[in-house]
Amino acid sequence: MARAVRSNNRIDLFLLVACGLLALLARVVPVSMREPVATGLRRTFMSPMVMLQEWAETSRHAMVLVESKTAKRDSVALSAMNAASVDSENDRLRKLIGLGARLRWGFVPAEALHSRGVRDETTVILSAGARAGVARFSPVIAPEGLVGVVDAVDPTMSHAMLWTHPDFRVSAMSADAAAFGIAQAHLTSATGGYLIEVRGVPFRANLKPGALIVSSGLGGVWPRGIPVGTVIQEIKTTEGWARTYLLRPAVFPADVYNVMILRLERVAKEFDGVWPSVAAADAAAQRIVVAGDSALKEAALAEAAARRAVMDSVNAESFARPATDSTGAVITPAPPVRRAPRPVVQDSGPPLIRVRDTTRRDTIRRDTSRIDSISGRPRGLR
Amino acid sequence: MGATIRAIISFLIFVLLHYTLRPLLGWRAPMDFLLIALLLASVRVRPGTAAVIGFVVGLVSDSLAPDALGAGALGMTVVGFSASYLKAVFFADNLMLNAFFFFAGKWMFDIIYFGLEQRMHGVELAQQLVLWSPLSAAVTATVGVLLLFLMRPLLEPTPA
Repeated sequence: MARAVRSNNRIDLFLLVACGLLALLARVVPVSMREPVATGLRRTFMSPMVMLQEWAETSRHAMVLVESKTAKRDSVALSAMNAASVDSENDRLRKLIGLGARLRWGFVPAEALHSRGVRDETTVILSAGARAGVARFSPVIAPEGLVGVVDAVDPTMSHAMLWTHPDFRVSAMSADAAAFGIAQAHLTSATGGYLIEVRGVPFRANLKPGALIVSSGLGGVWPRGIPVGTVIQEIKTTEGWARTYLLRPAVFPADVYNVMILRLERVAKEFDGVWPSVAAADAAAQRIVVAGDSALKEAALAEAAARRAVMDSVNAESFARPATDSTGAVITPAPPVRRAPRPVVQDSGPPLIRVRDTTRRDTIRRDTSRIDSISGRPRGLR
Repeated sequence: MGATIRAIISFLIFVLLHYTLRPLLGWRAPMDFLLIALLLASVRVRPGTAAVIGFVVGLVSDSLAPDALGAGALGMTVVGFSASYLKAVFFADNLMLNAFFFFAGKWMFDIIYFGLEQRMHGVELAQQLVLWSPLSAAVTATVGVLLLFLMRPLLEPTPA
């Protein structure tokens, strides 16, 4: 028994030593001899394992890629979500830059910081103060028009009263300076937001819906011509001696984030061309209408000339060949009735309409004969 | 089903896991299913046979890294023989002892393997043997114990 165990131990040790020596031999032989052995093992025993490992590596790579792809897709989705707001902000900043270019000098760009408090709708903090040249009663404007006025100034920031503030007033007028009034905030309802009302408009002045109302420049705080809003409708008040109009504001305070603060020395100077003039817009519209009329007039004249040419050629052909009746007898044509030439009307629209009317009247002559054929009809009905 | 066949099936499952789950996880301190398979086989056979199994398994796995051919074979031979010998000496059979076997076997294998491979030197080798190898050994021990628990019906000896 003990002999057998000893024998087994020897075999085990022998196998251990043999395997160890073989392993060391494999380790020390040159690469040129190692490589064929490794290749042979890879191509036989390890072939399915290599395949499995390759599959596992590919799967892992795919999983890693899925994560990165998902991250990229999320980033793209997030960018797409932000794109609209970024576009809007870009548009607004471009307008602000445009306003700055038109103002040329005497303004301070600032950010409007909404406090999100109870009085948030009527006041705002501006990120520019006395050091930047801001003073009390400096007008605050946006590319769209009037925003408010600075009511307190610190060295690095200032506090502005928006047009929604109950104490805010601005002298306003229609774009053609035909009607003047005082603009102030108009709270539509407890939750409906703010509009602007213009009070004290003379009774004789009648403003149409859509008419632009601008600051009049009276009073010295606001320069002339800054858009305040557009007329929505007239509202009835107890003041019978004057009209009151409701305006859609040019600027809604909640949308104000970047503004321009006008310096007081700039307020005294001209503001021509800063905001597009309504009179200029009207003149441009008139020019467009006139140009359209001219084109219409030329087209009508050309059509009339063509129609005349066709009629003349038809008449000439009918004069050259004698007409015959059903029996073959030649009908002697009646002498042509000379009509007085129709005067050419200088207006654009009417000639075309008249030519068409004439043609139509020719085609409905049958009705006249039909009326004549009805016997016993009173003459007055013809 | 005989105990030998079940042991062979278990061995093949571990080999399969070594070439599928391990590369799929791609951890820096990976578990070594081949070593678990070798240890589970070694405790069921004589030390000489365990040495041969270790040599074959090590040589075949070395074929994927021809520069290290022989290093894994020697490591597996030593670990297989040692596991079988120690199992015969102590006759112990509990999960904690198996975990210790897995941990010690893996660490020993790494020491032999990286020592013979001679790819790493100095600080890098020390970092591998002192930091990453014990971590890998711990992961191997944990996974080995877990798999032993899960595969207990397959690994338990047939009742007489």
